[in-house]
Amino acid sequence: MGAGPAMRAAERLARFPGFLRANGFGIAGGDAVQALRAAERTGVLDRDVLRWSLKALLCHRGDEWQRFDELFDAWFLPANRWQRPERRESADGSQSDAHPGGSREGDKADDEDLRPRRAASREEVLSSADFSALAEREHALEIEALMRRLARQLKRIRLRREMRAHRGRRLDLPGTIRRSVASGGTPFHLLWRNQRSERPRLVLLIDVSRSMVLYSFFYLRLARALASELGDVHSFIFHTRVTEVSQALHDADPWRAQERLHLIAQGWAGGTRIGESLAQFNREHAPRVVHGRTAVLVLSDGYDTGEPRQLSDALAQLRRRARRLVWINPLSNRPGYAPTCQGMQAAMPHLDLLAPGGDLASLRAVLPNLIETLH
Amino acid sequence: MTSPRALDIAGLQQELARVGYIADASLAAALLLMRDLARPLLLEGDAGVGKTEVAKALAEINRTRLIRLQCYEGLDAHSAMYEWNYQRQLLAIKLLEHDERSGAKDLAQREQDIFSERYLLKRPLLEAISGERPPVLLIDEIDRADAAFEAYLLELLSDFQITIPELGTVRATSRPLVVITSNGTRELSDALRRRCLYQYIDYPDYEKELAIVRKKAPEAEAKLAQQIVAFVQAVRRMELQKKPGVAETLDWTAALLRLEISTIDIDGAERIMDTLSALIKTRDDRVAFPREVVARLAAAS
Repeated sequence: MGAGPAMRAAERLARFPGFLRANGFGIAGGDAVQALRAAERTGVLDRDVLRWSLKALLCHRGDEWQRFDELFDAWFLPANRWQRPERRESADGSQSDAHPGGSREGDKADDEDLRPRRAASREEVLSSADFSALAEREHALEIEALMRRLARQLKRIRLRREMRAHRGRRLDLPGTIRRSVASGGTPFHLLWRNQRSERPRLVLLIDVSRSMVLYSFFYLRLARALASELGDVHSFIFHTRVTEVSQALHDADPWRAQERLHLIAQGWAGGTRIGESLAQFNREHAPRVVHGRTAVLVLSDGYDTGEPRQLSDALAQLRRRARRLVWINPLSNRPGYAPTCQGMQAAMPHLDLLAPGGDLASLRAVLPNLIETLH
Repeated sequence: MTSPRALDIAGLQQELARVGYIADASLAAALLLMRDLARPLLLEGDAGVGKTEVAKALAEINRTRLIRLQCYEGLDAHSAMYEWNYQRQLLAIKLLEHDERSGAKDLAQREQDIFSERYLLKRPLLEAISGERPPVLLIDEIDRADAAFEAYLLELLSDFQITIPELGTVRATSRPLVVITSNGTRELSDALRRRCLYQYIDYPDYEKELAIVRKKAPEAEAKLAQQIVAFVQAVRRMELQKKPGVAETLDWTAALLRLEISTIDIDGAERIMDTLSALIKTRDDRVAFPREVVARLAAAS
């Protein structure tokens, strides 16, 4: 016993933040130093003291808080050998990409100025193509770029709306007086107060059950695009239960985002229980994320294997909380579609709008109006 | 074997208990670390789990002032820091105008006068850094303010200085202990999260809540307190829109005492029904509590 074990302890401690990062924690570069500094104060021999201190230091959000103890034990308890988390190799991403450099091209297409002129006609074709027919990766990337564009259009609508709202005629008295100090108390310049209004919020509930698999892929991309452009967007996925994916979608690295989503959706039982999922949403998330200026969008085909009664109750409750409740059904622009399945029958009375969403053109028809009405 | 730090933690827990706050060891550890590393503490958790109370208790055991900034939608950084007292400034100008003897020479002097600290109204953020003793600064429900304010706050928390264009830069004469709470209605920026120590506060378990009730409502007898806590814990396990927080438990305890209900059992279900409005706050949830449910819960408590 001498410097040996102590050294090892310090090293182990210094590498702990890296271990957390590998497990999806938002760890910054300086955290290892901070952890050592904290340990200097607390000592490392008392496991619990070290645990509590590092927990406060290295967790930054609720889900990290819930997972911390397990990871701490895995790292520090000698009985358990820690397991290296599956690392996402950089080669991995490009391997699964059938077209080399595909994502880079996608980024480029995203930039409107760099788009080739002929894109317009191609865009029309893509806009009206049903998502389920777009199995090719190339299409997916282009669609993603178009969704970005749609999101930016929505952002412009919102900004315009907000500016208009700001042009209210309310005198800003403190400001006017402050200005008038310069002119000896005579108010030459009148200042008007901006009327701040509560920002509208979008909540997306995306059905990722098997029957939706061809569409949910695109809807998740839509959610990602909306979140990055509009800001106040909360996204959830469900089939038998509901999970928030805002964080995962927020990931700057699109491959990691996809991987995280994949992990979240894994291991769920089959079947779609929309009613149950929405009830769970009402219970666990709605009080927090749904306020009086929220539009809730359910993106689902309405094939529900649960009780219609439960679906109808859950929607009624959601309707009371939200400003708008919209159901986007990818099937409903097919010729001859009528909302006859049990799920849709139960849902209809509670919706503000049932809109088709099978292709980009129909999303384009719905979303701008929705944003307009929220202000 | 107990490490010195573990003793510190236990000591802090005792001190907090003395001023009426029952804290987990992990919270006490975070509070100590907050002092060591001079970092703000970010508290998250459902409404009603006692986040705000942490700051109050912290101020009390440090025998210092609690300065509270309640965030709201549209709060701008300016009104959280300072404001000029325009009325007094105007008055001063008018008085000066009538003062014939003062020539144009000391115009600059006069202007400086008008923008001196005498005419400055300190708002919470400025007040928190300009005192002699470091106060506790509570920034409550930061998720209600917008992202711009958050960025501003971040700057203040790293530099501890405020720039007032007319007056210059005010450096902190004392560094406040900063406690930030959030109910999670909006995602906070990563930058802010990284600056802060973090603590997620959950609803208390049976033991802890019992300790809280015993502490805050000592007039309730031990048996009744146990029943109350068991009842509330059972209510929280139900599917409700708004789960009762600790404050609701205490309200309800007060209501029961007021009505001189000394025990919770099946026979008293009717009277308990009358007091439930202290515990259950939404119409939808109220529907979930018909007489039979209350009777069943009461019998189990």
